[in-house]
Amino acid sequence: MAIKVKVVERPIGDVSYIRATLKGMALTMKHLFDVTNRATIQYPEEKSPISPRWRGTHRMLTTETGKAKCVACGLCPTVCPANCIKLVPGEDEEGNRYPLVFEIDEFRCIFCGYCQEVCPEEAIHVGRHYENSEYSREGFVYDLQRLMDQSHPVCEMWDPEDPKGE
Amino acid sequence: MADTKMVSLTIEGRTVSVPDGTTILEAAKTAGILIPHYCYHPGLPVAGVCRMCLVEVEKAPKLAPSCATTVAEGQVVHVHSDKSLDARKGVLEMLLINHPLDCPICDQSGECELQDYTYQEGREDSRYREPKRFNPAEDFGGDVIYVPNRCILCTRCVRFMDDVAHDPVLNVSERGDRALIGKFEGKDLTHPWASNVVDLCPVGALLSKDFLNKARAWELDRTASICPNCTQGCNVTMETRENQLVRMRPRPNEHVNAFFMCDWGRLNYRWMNEKNRVEQPMVGRARALAPTSWEIAITAAARALNGKKVFVAASPMLSNEALFLLTQIMQGGVGAFRVTEGEEAPLAGVKDLALRRERAANVYGAQALGFNKTTDLLAGLKQGDVLVVAGEDLAGIEAAAIARASEVIVISSILPEVASNASVVLPIANFSEEEGTVTNLRGRVQRFTQARQAPGDTRPSWLVLGDLLGAMGKQSNFFLPSEVFASLAASNKTFAGLSYDSIGFKGLPLANAPSTGPNAPIAVGAA
Repeated sequence: MAIKVKVVERPIGDVSYIRATLKGMALTMKHLFDVTNRATIQYPEEKSPISPRWRGTHRMLTTETGKAKCVACGLCPTVCPANCIKLVPGEDEEGNRYPLVFEIDEFRCIFCGYCQEVCPEEAIHVGRHYENSEYSREGFVYDLQRLMDQSHPVCEMWDPEDPKGE
Repeated sequence: MADTKMVSLTIEGRTVSVPDGTTILEAAKTAGILIPHYCYHPGLPVAGVCRMCLVEVEKAPKLAPSCATTVAEGQVVHVHSDKSLDARKGVLEMLLINHPLDCPICDQSGECELQDYTYQEGREDSRYREPKRFNPAEDFGGDVIYVPNRCILCTRCVRFMDDVAHDPVLNVSERGDRALIGKFEGKDLTHPWASNVVDLCPVGALLSKDFLNKARAWELDRTASICPNCTQGCNVTMETRENQLVRMRPRPNEHVNAFFMCDWGRLNYRWMNEKNRVEQPMVGRARALAPTSWEIAITAAARALNGKKVFVAASPMLSNEALFLLTQIMQGGVGAFRVTEGEEAPLAGVKDLALRRERAANVYGAQALGFNKTTDLLAGLKQGDVLVVAGEDLAGIEAAAIARASEVIVISSILPEVASNASVVLPIANFSEEEGTVTNLRGRVQRFTQARQAPGDTRPSWLVLGDLLGAMGKQSNFFLPSEVFASLAASNKTFAGLSYDSIGFKGLPLANAPSTGPNAPIAVGAA
């Protein structure tokens, strides 16, 4: 049995789309000719600023001698909720504690920034950076050298003026 | 000891009753209260130097060091009262004055008593503003390295070397805040039991060179086991990281090893991580071994064994369970084993505790089960016998000796080169990868559990031998090693009355074991 549909008769002023279309077109035209207030950003030539607390791909800071600051204490793999840091501790040429293997799987990483927060040596940081494309999945496993070679600015976990965020 | 007077006292509002002469610290342990302490250790003489175990005893004029104060009738002890907490907070602050707080690079981090107690009841910050004293790390010889900056001078190491090892090597050199642990002129920590100072050290001052920077304490998986490296059968904890054994540490057992284990046993764990393993069952086809399935390999082995005269060359590292099943497979044949020997190295201060001459876990179990101890392993192999190589590496055995056998069956973790003409190879788990029991030289049966995963298609020895027995048409219905042991206890008078449940993790002596010796609790510092 066919269902009967009740058709409501509404005044033409309410159902016409012409007015709404013209309104939309007017906005488009306004932006088309308004050179001072462009909404579009010409990426990648132009980039919008990102927050100082942006948490992107990692960076390992180095000492003046160019060695990683990491002492392989094992706190970042312990605190990491995504289990994306692989660390094998060992010793360097001078017998100091040093990471033999330090790898971060940026695909597994959830960019929580705990690793930066927990690091007693201020070695590992999350970076203010978001352009991470790679040609292979393996490329997203950053080893120690890759982390040290990164040069983007690092995340400020908190505003030094206002550490409690008040 | 029924005539010992019992004393009742109240600790933290809990009434406890302990034998007269017990210290407050030990009495508190029975009530489940841990009084923080550094210099006290149940295996060492009481020194009372760290002042960490101060507790408030009602009606006493001042705080009492609970490690050196014996209990008295009606005593009321407060462990966590403001007064005692305050005292311990003071002690911790003093200990941290010169402590470098280098936990991120310290091996002890995670199992450090200074870290634990500071976290529990220490101050958040230090009031000390002057530069800290610094002394360079020193190699103490043996496997021990000393980091004086982290030392809290509890003198446990000094007392161990003096009173337990009876080899005074360590002392407290200098005085006041310059004090540190020093070696006597011309001496080194080369005593065969010296590495125990690393376990005794409550902080990261004495470290094992072997374990240095290898793993963090919280990454390790710990398994109760037995040291397989000599017939003493010291109780140990096997600690693994990512399925690799990284260290062995003693597990207290007053009947076997008190709190200690020797350096040789401790450092001889790498063979259990061996990479060169047989990982698949194999059968010999056209003069070469071909991988196959377990079913085919077991059937082939059963066919080779059935109705033949069998000679078993067993390893004394095998468990009682595996050796028992081997005796079933022998069908009246002969079994023999050989054992590597080394020098005996006793720990002077503990009765009947030594690194034994025979360097294998289950020499006495194998003998109790009828295997002959021999130096010429294949002497008993007759022309035309079927040779079963069980866990034995056949090192130094000539191919000509093996050629006497009509067929060779290898049930082992590693395929010996001379046995590459074997007709069947059944890969079994090694000591760290399976569960079972071993019998020590005083006839004490002790359980060990699985610490690592076995590689490839490898199976536990008791399971392989049980299946083989079944395939030979014999009674075999084992799903657990405890069932194999129950069958052993039922059929062998020496093992009668024992079961996995009754053995527990402290072991039990065999029916015919001597009643003296380490089956009675051993006294530390007695000799």
